[in-house]
Amino acid sequence: MVKKNNWKAWLYLAPVIILMAVFTFYPLINTIGISFLKNYNYLTATSDGFTFDNYGYVLGIVPKVYTSGGQTFYLYFTDVIQKALPNTLFITFVTVPISVLISLLISVGLNSIKWFKKFLQTIFFVPYVTNAIAVGMVFGVIFADKGLWNYIFQLGQQHWIDASKDGLPSDWGHAMFALCFYIIWHSLPFKILIFLSGLQNIDKQYYDAAKIDSAGRVKTFWKITVPLLSPQILYVMITSFIAAFKEYNSVIGLFGADNAGWYTGSHDLYTIVYYVYDCISDGNVQLGAAAAVMLFIIIMLFTAIQFWVSKKRVHY
Amino acid sequence: MEIRLKNLTKVFPGDKKKGIPDTIAVNNLDVVVPDGKLLGLLGPSGCGKSTTLYMIAGLLEPTSGEIWFGDEEVTRLSPERRGIGLVFQNYALYPHMTVYDNVAFPLTNLRIEEPVLEPDKVKQGQIMADFDAKIAAIEKENSTLDKKKDEGKINANKTEIKHLKSLCRYEMAQAGTPKVDNDGRPLMAKRRLSKDEIDKIVRETAQVVQIEQYLERKPNQLSGGQQQRVAIARALVKKPKVLLLDEPLSNLDARLRLQTREEIRRIQKETGITTVFVTHDQEEAMSISDEIVVMKLGIEQQRDVPQAVYNNPVNRFVANFLGTPPISMFKGRIKDNKIYIGQDMVREITEKKVADQDCTVGIRPEGIIVDPQGSFSFQVERILTMGRDIMLIVKHPDSLNDIKFLVDAFTKVGVGEVRANVKPHKCFAFSLDGSEERIV
Repeated sequence: MVKKNNWKAWLYLAPVIILMAVFTFYPLINTIGISFLKNYNYLTATSDGFTFDNYGYVLGIVPKVYTSGGQTFYLYFTDVIQKALPNTLFITFVTVPISVLISLLISVGLNSIKWFKKFLQTIFFVPYVTNAIAVGMVFGVIFADKGLWNYIFQLGQQHWIDASKDGLPSDWGHAMFALCFYIIWHSLPFKILIFLSGLQNIDKQYYDAAKIDSAGRVKTFWKITVPLLSPQILYVMITSFIAAFKEYNSVIGLFGADNAGWYTGSHDLYTIVYYVYDCISDGNVQLGAAAAVMLFIIIMLFTAIQFWVSKKRVHY
Repeated sequence: MEIRLKNLTKVFPGDKKKGIPDTIAVNNLDVVVPDGKLLGLLGPSGCGKSTTLYMIAGLLEPTSGEIWFGDEEVTRLSPERRGIGLVFQNYALYPHMTVYDNVAFPLTNLRIEEPVLEPDKVKQGQIMADFDAKIAAIEKENSTLDKKKDEGKINANKTEIKHLKSLCRYEMAQAGTPKVDNDGRPLMAKRRLSKDEIDKIVRETAQVVQIEQYLERKPNQLSGGQQQRVAIARALVKKPKVLLLDEPLSNLDARLRLQTREEIRRIQKETGITTVFVTHDQEEAMSISDEIVVMKLGIEQQRDVPQAVYNNPVNRFVANFLGTPPISMFKGRIKDNKIYIGQDMVREITEKKVADQDCTVGIRPEGIIVDPQGSFSFQVERILTMGRDIMLIVKHPDSLNDIKFLVDAFTKVGVGEVRANVKPHKCFAFSLDGSEERIV
């Protein structure tokens, strides 16, 4: 082997490597470390030693023990296991497949029209450049008790996101529907962009061949378009799975910071990342770290499964 | 089935604002392809031959004119309803499907109308017994084989069993008598092909084009020639009435091209499908076609059997386009019913009386006989030995292109001035007006 003098390459890479080391790799490793520390204090960076209990607390297996007035209390945290995790999984497995399918259909439609194509592409891309909180406020108006949604579908005064004034909470299903609707709408443009660029790379001759072979439109879509677009579909699936697992700002955007779960209890739309933020603002950094590591493992697991499935289904 | 094109025209609209004029790709084309014949559409790129083919296929809509398949007008019919097979220039095999799936794909879309059968239990029992015996024999052989040593053979036998079972199901489904309604007419039903029927047809077609051993592979694991055969199989599998081939050999190397050319001819003869073959290669067109149409800028120049087009070109373009090496062109003139190049008389016109005029003279490469007393003199610059022939690279003051002559390998000829006689039937005169039509 010839030893290459490649210090120049390292020099060019240095800015990125240093930045990533400081702001990505170090925090990543540190988080894993913190998740195993007892009573971690992030101001002094001190703790009471090594423990597995943080994971126990987060999962609601190990109780927190308080003694007050000679009495001992055992307190189990059930927010993650009963609210955040199911909510996160629900959001992921509902919004990702639906939004992928919708964006696929929209991009195929966009790709096959001749007029207004550029104009419509722009329209469909607008949500991507719009701030999530601003969009959340607009959706807040749409899904208000006297909002557009109720008006258009003649639903009377259904509670979607407003906690009801007459004391009845808007139920989980209604709130979740509004949230998923919002997430799907907001995640479409990026997917459409990816799919459109993928579609433009598919040789038109395959469609001519399919026509000659008398394949119908639906069959052409499933047998030709989807397999030929499978690399893009895999990419979009994985990135949007990760994004959905990390869902947080949609909840804040739609319901407001102190309306979503922990505080009012009326919607229960807690998510794992939401829990992590709550832990940090409450000073329980080690719990947040433990939850974050767990989320990391879950995401890794699902990504691995997707890659495994894709080996047979994706055609490069 | 006969294909008839009537006044077929295709205009690709330009853009008036940007000053791009309309392009007339095909202009008033009238062609009849007789039933079961192979027609070669020949011309340089941009002459509208592929456009014509795509209009026959239905992928492009003609601006005007009509397309008839037999007694049926198909001009406005969509491609899927025309029942044609098309082989694309780059094959357009679906890259994500195996060869088997590629070939089977057209069949999965097919709807056929067939008489409903009343199953014949006795016959079915016989078929079942026959196949059971065959399968049992193979299974017995497998049980005697060594698991590790003969793994390949065992697996081959297993696939064989699978095929036999499929074939058995197919034949059982066929065994029966047609059901009749109250008036005694056979009951017909529209249906899709069953898996076993598809399997049988795919394997039969694969046999015709000799790709049976590649059925489980993906197209990108095949060579160009094999892909080409798969593309032909995919076009043939639904037994089309018309087969269209768009420059099918242009992606193959020279040797394979020759081989595949004969293959296509064989398959076409075997199946008797009316075929249109598009190519820019005159040799290809000549060797494969029953009839050739030479096109230029969307206009048909000449239509005839291959040898006639070569021997009797109607104009300078056709003469120029056919033949390798190409025909040699000279400035010349006709005087007293004799064709002259410079001061040399090259041909005496005996058939008819032609007015004196300037003209372009074309001589085919094989059109000279070296003779010290010959009437035509030229300067030989170089001599190339081609094996069977000798090629003379020639300089002549009146030449209009690179002059090449082919002479017999035993001809005594050297560099410098050479005299020769010109074979009259290899020498043509073309008029100098726009049409450049042949005078004699």
